[in-house]
Amino acid sequence: MNRAARKRRSRRRSVVLALLVLVLLAAWAIMWRPAIDPQAQAPAFDAATVERGRNLAAVGTCAACHTVDPTRPFAGGRALATPFGTVYSTNITPDARTGIGGWSEAAFTRALREGVSRDGRLLYPAFPYDHYTRLAQDDIRAMYAYFMTRPALDAPAPPNDMRFPFGFRPLVAFWNILYLKREPWRPDPKQNAEWNRGAYLADVLSHCGACHTPRTKLGGTDFDRTLDGGEAEGWYVPALNAKSPSPVPWTREHLAAYLRTGIAPDHAAAGGPMQAVVENLRLADPKDVEAMATYIHSFLAQAPGRQARASQPGGMPAPQPDDPDLARMRTGYEVYAGACARCHDTGREETSGAALQLQKAVALYDPDPRSLVHIVRQGISPPDGEPARWMPAFGDILTHDQTTALVAYLRRYGAGQPQWEHLDDQVRKAEQQP
Amino acid sequence: MTTYHLRVNGRDHAVDTDPDTPLLYVLRNDLQMNGAKFGCGLGQCGACTVTMGGDAVMSCLVPVSVVGSRDVGTVEGLGTAGKPGMLQQAFIDEQAAQCGYCIAGMMMRAQSLLAKNPKPTDAEITKHMMPNLCRCGTHMRILRAVRRASNAMANQPAGAKA
Repeated sequence: MNRAARKRRSRRRSVVLALLVLVLLAAWAIMWRPAIDPQAQAPAFDAATVERGRNLAAVGTCAACHTVDPTRPFAGGRALATPFGTVYSTNITPDARTGIGGWSEAAFTRALREGVSRDGRLLYPAFPYDHYTRLAQDDIRAMYAYFMTRPALDAPAPPNDMRFPFGFRPLVAFWNILYLKREPWRPDPKQNAEWNRGAYLADVLSHCGACHTPRTKLGGTDFDRTLDGGEAEGWYVPALNAKSPSPVPWTREHLAAYLRTGIAPDHAAAGGPMQAVVENLRLADPKDVEAMATYIHSFLAQAPGRQARASQPGGMPAPQPDDPDLARMRTGYEVYAGACARCHDTGREETSGAALQLQKAVALYDPDPRSLVHIVRQGISPPDGEPARWMPAFGDILTHDQTTALVAYLRRYGAGQPQWEHLDDQVRKAEQQP
Repeated sequence: MTTYHLRVNGRDHAVDTDPDTPLLYVLRNDLQMNGAKFGCGLGQCGACTVTMGGDAVMSCLVPVSVVGSRDVGTVEGLGTAGKPGMLQQAFIDEQAAQCGYCIAGMMMRAQSLLAKNPKPTDAEITKHMMPNLCRCGTHMRILRAVRRASNAMANQPAGAKA
């Protein structure tokens, strides 16, 4: 090798090295966040601010994730399974060691707006800071006052169980570049005050879209498909716009009742992850929940109703003799008649608590069978010590084949919709889910 | 009417009945096993709880047509008045009954837990027993009885069962 070639090579090497250093520096600048010094003591708060914070925390459904044991509110520890691993909610009581006792308002604000912990670590977007980022500072302050005045509980969060490489938190910085839009919330001048209040609460604080809007492959909210229906904890989460699967058209009053009590009479009952949402909303200012209903209903109102089938009188029919899937439909009908009809069919017993006629049940009209399978298997049971509707669980009563046949029958003869694909696999998946 | 072959407490039975007849009615009316009780008939109270394939189920909700080959277990299978099983003895020792109507169901739900998890934590016991209600309010004694049965079974020489 001659001298000139060697020189060229070494120059090329230094350029590559310099570029590499630059890239690393840039990456470090993107990923690194400083710690905010712990505060020795939280400032004093006035009662009105704390009460405002209490209401906002209820609308924000903070307890849905941050409370596991109702006797230890906001102590965290709830597992949230995501496609990237299992994330545990943290302790947001003012305990100095394991909670947010050392967090100043600035640190609390940064966590909500940017998804950064007081110590500078990046939080996972299972914590919906991509929604909270648009909160009004006044509201952040009120929630800070509320949480800092809760009883401090010693409760370290269990370590997360992330899939490789997501255990490396700084990677979240790149997610933030894609999905964290740090712009203030703005009212829509064409709408009235109640609608705008509802929009702010539903979109920003209550983060409805975190579950009701589909996510991209990277787990970001897909804003092009806002409220098109998503998923949560293995449940299908219904669309809240023109794509709503509900067979009975939603009225604003139905929706308000549903959000405040978990039940829209003769229409729907909250199940699965929505139960925890309703448990929180029932503690919120009814006016705020009404405003959310007004806002969400403005989208739901665009959905075409399928009232014709849902309001058909009479019970569920036996399978037609020429049904191409007759054997399975017969099994499904037999299970329905023996196990479900007593409460759900017309002429049902008065004590059944007005269980919904299944032709009206939203889950039968979903684009996939996950929610229906979960409801059949787990029933609907209130959280510990809370009043709510009770539907017994059939997971231990029905075999795999019986469950599959029942769900297939309900889809065909209850909803009159084309059969779900991969139904067998979906039931099996639900059986494996703890 | 269809003939159903059921295996209850290890014995085979043939029963002629309609497919939508609840297992509870078959046990009580056809097989004269009156341990499981009719409470609400809607799966809300648990008085009719039996085990099916080892799982606790409310037998008022189980149409006889879905049972198939799964073993059914009732309180009669746990022991007799003269020779109570360990779980029954634990309920007696804790005096965990007042009117007693829910107790057969309570014992069968507890049985399904201890068969799979012989040393449950107190929280696991409470969570598992949650679907069964006692109108007299002896829940705390019932939980103690399940704990006592679990301890007694742990101290039992290998091979012995409730």
